Amino acid sequence: MWWSVWIMTETYEEKIEQLRLIIAKIEDGGTSLDESMKLYEQGAALVRQCETLLASAEEKITTLSRDA
Amino acid sequence: MIILIDMRFVHNISLMDWFYRTEPSEAQEPNELPVVTDTPLTVREISGIIESLLDDRQLQDIRVQGEVTNYKYHSRGHRYFSLSEKGGGSTAAVIKCVMWRSDADRLSFAPEDGMEVVVTGSVRVYPPQGSYQLQVKTMTRGGAGEKYLLIERWKKELAAEGCFAAERKRPLPSFPLRVGVVTSETGAVIHDIRTVIAHRYPVEIVISPTAVQGEKAHGEIARAIARVAGQVDVVIVARGGGSFEDLFPFNHPDVVRAIAACPVPVVSAIGHEVDVTLADLAADMRAPTPSAAAELVVPDRKDLRLVLRDLRCRLGASLLTRISRAQNEIADLRDRLRPQRFCRKIGEKRQAVADLSDRLERSFVTRIERDRLLLAEMKTALDGRSPRAVLARGYCVAEKDGIVVKSVDALREDDRLNLRFYDGRSRVVVERVDHDGNL
Repeated sequence: MWWSVWIMTETYEEKIEQLRLIIAKIEDGGTSLDESMKLYEQGAALVRQCETLLASAEEKITTLSRDA
Repeated sequence: MIILIDMRFVHNISLMDWFYRTEPSEAQEPNELPVVTDTPLTVREISGIIESLLDDRQLQDIRVQGEVTNYKYHSRGHRYFSLSEKGGGSTAAVIKCVMWRSDADRLSFAPEDGMEVVVTGSVRVYPPQGSYQLQVKTMTRGGAGEKYLLIERWKKELAAEGCFAAERKRPLPSFPLRVGVVTSETGAVIHDIRTVIAHRYPVEIVISPTAVQGEKAHGEIARAIARVAGQVDVVIVARGGGSFEDLFPFNHPDVVRAIAACPVPVVSAIGHEVDVTLADLAADMRAPTPSAAAELVVPDRKDLRLVLRDLRCRLGASLLTRISRAQNEIADLRDRLRPQRFCRKIGEKRQAVADLSDRLERSFVTRIERDRLLLAEMKTALDGRSPRAVLARGYCVAEKDGIVVKSVDALREDDRLNLRFYDGRSRVVVERVDHDGNL
């Protein structure tokens, strides 16, 4: 169960990094309008995913056995 | 709370001594012993009993040898500390000490934790805290504290092993998913850490419980670190504030090596900020408190949200900027396509034509002017040769039937001629015709 969370959260940083790249690309003069629109769609999806990740984090406590 | 005392314990001579000596006025009837009543004692009474018990010659004006620990220089000038004695590698006995300002002012040196000292004083009860303490009158220095020497020796050994090397320190993960906490499973420390993590960024906390003080604590702590290390992204090793003895296990090589060998970064938060243990030196990062350690290991969700919101705004703005640039491009292209430019060009050409035409006209006018002058000159010259001018000199022109008579041959007798003078004409009749040749 926590593996799924792990995979998602592991990529939070990557998602943010990707988002920054997308913004930089759109801001760059060389990117076509068409491509910029597609990038925007991707960026908006990333923002939604990140928001979901932040909202879904939940506290969980595990206590290890001393004998293990 | 009411404390009941089993009266069997009160059959004691010193108690009797105390009773009659210290509180004779309050005893209503000296002959009525409290032993026979069933009335419970008050806390003050029992405190008084203990005080009288301690008022023993063996505990008054005595000399005591020990190691200074938890030395505190109170702002009012009093000194509070403990004297401790080791036995079998850990603390065997401790006694709290106080040195009042009047006595402390006579100290010939500045006591420090770890110093081996010999003090003189008396043991007294401190009723408000229910504790006993050694009221120190004088203090002289003994040898340096063995525990401190031991720590110094460990520190050198562990440094030689590279446990404290700066290049060994690892950065903490930005987004840990599981945080290991090595500490006592009860108490404020784990509670503080949980609270902070839950508040900032709730992730899974894996508690690896351990004793955090005592003779065998170091082995337990080391095992607790090793146990949790493989299951988490970062480990917090924490303990609340305590005495030098309390924190001592965190100086032990077992703990230091366990931290150094931990496969994931370790954040230490042991004791208060002023207490630096060898475990702190070996940790990848040291936090002043357990709460601060928790803040170090997880990001704050609020900050992340702010960053995300900013990125979302920038994303939208970047697209709008891109679109607006595209619109500008289109506007520019449209401008370039418009006929105005051509019209302007035609206008320019037209102007050129007009200019040329002007020049042409001007040049004609000049030319005509010149010709006119020339003509006037010629007219003047012509006038000089005019027949009129000849007539004026006294000549006249004969005309017959409108034709100028150039030769006498054209005349016959009785021809009617017109004679033109410069100022008029007359009609004459030919009388005779003579030829010069015939003369």
